[in-house]
Amino acid sequence: MSTSADVDRLETGQHRAGAGYARYVGWRLAQGVVVVFGAVVLSFLITNLSGNPGQVIGGSFLSPQQRQQIIDQLGYNRPVLQRLASYLAGAAHGDFGTSYQTGEPALRVVLTAFPNTALLIACAITLAVVAAVPVAVLSVLHRGSAGDRASRVVMMLAGALPDFWIAIVLVRLLSVNLPWLPAIGFTSPQSLILPTVALALPLIPAFVRLLRGALLDVVGQEFVTVLRSKGFRDRFIVAHHALRNALVPFVTLLAMQIGWLLGGTIIVEVIFAWPGIGSVINNAVQARDVAVIQAAVVVVACGYVLLNLAADVAVTLIDPRVRSGIRP
Amino acid sequence: MTAPPVPRPHALRPWARLPLNAHPTLRLGLLILLGTLGVAAWGTVALPGAGQQDLAQSFLPPLSPGHLLGTDQLGQDVLAWTSAGIWVGLEVSLAVVSISAVTGISVGLCAGYFGGVVDALVMRLVDVCLSIPPLLVFVAAAALLRPSMLTLILLISVVAWLPYARLVRSVVLVERERGYLLAARLSGATRRRVLAGHLLPAVSTPVLVLSSLQAGYVLLWEAGLSFLGLGIRPPQHSLGYLIAEGRETLSTAWWVVVFPGAALALLVLAAHLIGDGLRDLVQQDVEILGG
Repeated sequence: MSTSADVDRLETGQHRAGAGYARYVGWRLAQGVVVVFGAVVLSFLITNLSGNPGQVIGGSFLSPQQRQQIIDQLGYNRPVLQRLASYLAGAAHGDFGTSYQTGEPALRVVLTAFPNTALLIACAITLAVVAAVPVAVLSVLHRGSAGDRASRVVMMLAGALPDFWIAIVLVRLLSVNLPWLPAIGFTSPQSLILPTVALALPLIPAFVRLLRGALLDVVGQEFVTVLRSKGFRDRFIVAHHALRNALVPFVTLLAMQIGWLLGGTIIVEVIFAWPGIGSVINNAVQARDVAVIQAAVVVVACGYVLLNLAADVAVTLIDPRVRSGIRP
Repeated sequence: MTAPPVPRPHALRPWARLPLNAHPTLRLGLLILLGTLGVAAWGTVALPGAGQQDLAQSFLPPLSPGHLLGTDQLGQDVLAWTSAGIWVGLEVSLAVVSISAVTGISVGLCAGYFGGVVDALVMRLVDVCLSIPPLLVFVAAAALLRPSMLTLILLISVVAWLPYARLVRSVVLVERERGYLLAARLSGATRRRVLAGHLLPAVSTPVLVLSSLQAGYVLLWEAGLSFLGLGIRPPQHSLGYLIAEGRETLSTAWWVVVFPGAALALLVLAAHLIGDGLRDLVQQDVEILGG
C-alpha cells in the first residue's frame, strides 16, 4: 500500500546510494535552504499579488488621505521588485515587519504562539500513535478475521469525518455535560484534551493504514518465512522484527503529518480558541495583517523542512541499511 | 438438518458474473455514492427552495411534515440545503480534480521523460510548493481574494496538482526502462507517440486511483474553507457553511450540524472506498497480466 508520500520518499532516496552519509545530510540541508527561500518568496507573492492591503484595511471608513497614509506607511507606494528586495533583506535578518494591529514585530507574534501549537501537535501525534500501533499490529496478526475487517471499516469511517465536525460534536457531547472539561482557550491542562482528540481522530486511520500496509509488506518477506520455519511465534516476529522494518515509512509519514499539522490546525484552533499559530493566522487573515501572514508562512515552512530532515536522520538511525547505502 | 444449498451455476445467476461482485470495496463505495447522490437528487427536485427562509418554521425537528430533516434557525430546510451542498461540493471537487490531473500529468510526463535539468527544476519547484501546508495557502489567499466558487477551485488546484506530478513522474521513471518502450523507440515512434500513446496509458490507472482519493480530500477542504467563511457563501450552498451556521445553535438543534456532516462523511467515505477498490482492481489485473 503506497501513498504518494511513500513514492516521494523513494524518489528522494535515490540520492542515498553511493553518497557518503555526511554528504547526504549536507545535500538534504541544502535542499531545505532552497525550500525555505522558495517559501519566503512564495509568501511574498501570495500576499502582494492579491491586492493592496492599503485598499482593504479599514473598509470604507477611511478618507483618501488616511488611506494614502496607510499605503505609504506599509511601503506599498514602491515598485514590487523594490518591495521584494527589501522584504528579502529583512527576512534574512528575521525581520518580517511589524503587525499593524499590535505594533509588535510579526515574527515575535508568530513565535509566541508557536509553543502552544507545538504542544497541541505533540499531544495529538502521541495519542494517534499510541492508538494506531496496537490496532495495526493486531489487525496484521489476525488479518482476514472479523476483527480485522471491522477495524478497517471503523478506520475508514473515522477517516471520512471532517475534523471541524468532530470538534463541534465533541464540544457539544463532552464539555456541555462535563463541566471540568473546558471547551475553549488554554487555561488548564484539561484544556488540551478536546483539541487533542479532535486533531488525533482523523490521524489515526491514516497511521493505521500505512503501518498495516508496511507490516504486511514486511511479513511477506523471506526472512519472516525463515523465522517462522525456525518456530518463532507470529507475535514475536511482528514485535521484534516486522515492526522495526515497518517503522521506516511510518516515521517519514509522521514527519510529513506533523509538518502539515503546523498549518493545518487552523480550523481546530479557531473552534477551541486555542492561542496557537492557527489562531494567529486566522486573526491576521481576517484583519489583512500581511506581515504576520508572511512570518507565519515562513515559520511553518522552516518547521516543515527541519522536521523532514529530522525524519530522514531518524530513518538512518532505525535502519542501518539506509545509512550504508545498501538500500537505494 | 437441511442439506447445504447447492451453489447454482453462474449461468443461472447472471448477476454473479458482474465485474463488481469480486470487488466488494469498490461496489460498496459506488453504492454509497449513488445512494447519497440519489437522496440529493430527490432533495433537489422535491424541495426546490434551498435557502428559502421562513422564520415561522424555525427549528422544526426532523420528520416534521414537509421538512424531513428539519429546519434551521432561519427556517431553511436542512434537506434542501444539504442536497444543494452536495452538488456544490461535487462540482468543486470534480473541477479541481480535472484541472489538477491534467496539469499534473503534463508536468509529470515531461519531467519524467525528459529528465535532466527540466526534471530537477520542476521537482524542486514541487518540493517548495509542498513545503507549505495546503490549508495555510488556502486561508492566506482566500482571505485576500474575493471568495467565489471559481477562486476556490483555482486556489485548491494550485496545490492539488502537485501529487499528480510526483506520482506520474515516478511511474514514468519506471516505465521508461521497460522493454516495450525501448521497442517503441527502436521502431521509430515519435516523441509525441511515446508520450501520448505509451506513457499516458501507463500512468492512467494510478492517476485514476489518486483522483478518486483526492476527490474526497477536496470535498473536506472545500467544506473546511466554507466553514471558516473563506469559501462558498450564500446564495450558493456549502455543507461547511451550513455546519458553521448550525454550530451556534447546536444545543437546541443538533440536526442542522449532524445531517450535513453525515452527508460530507458519506461522500468522502465513498471516495476512499472507490479509490481503494480501484487500487485492488488494478493490482489484481497487474498480477493476472504480469504473472
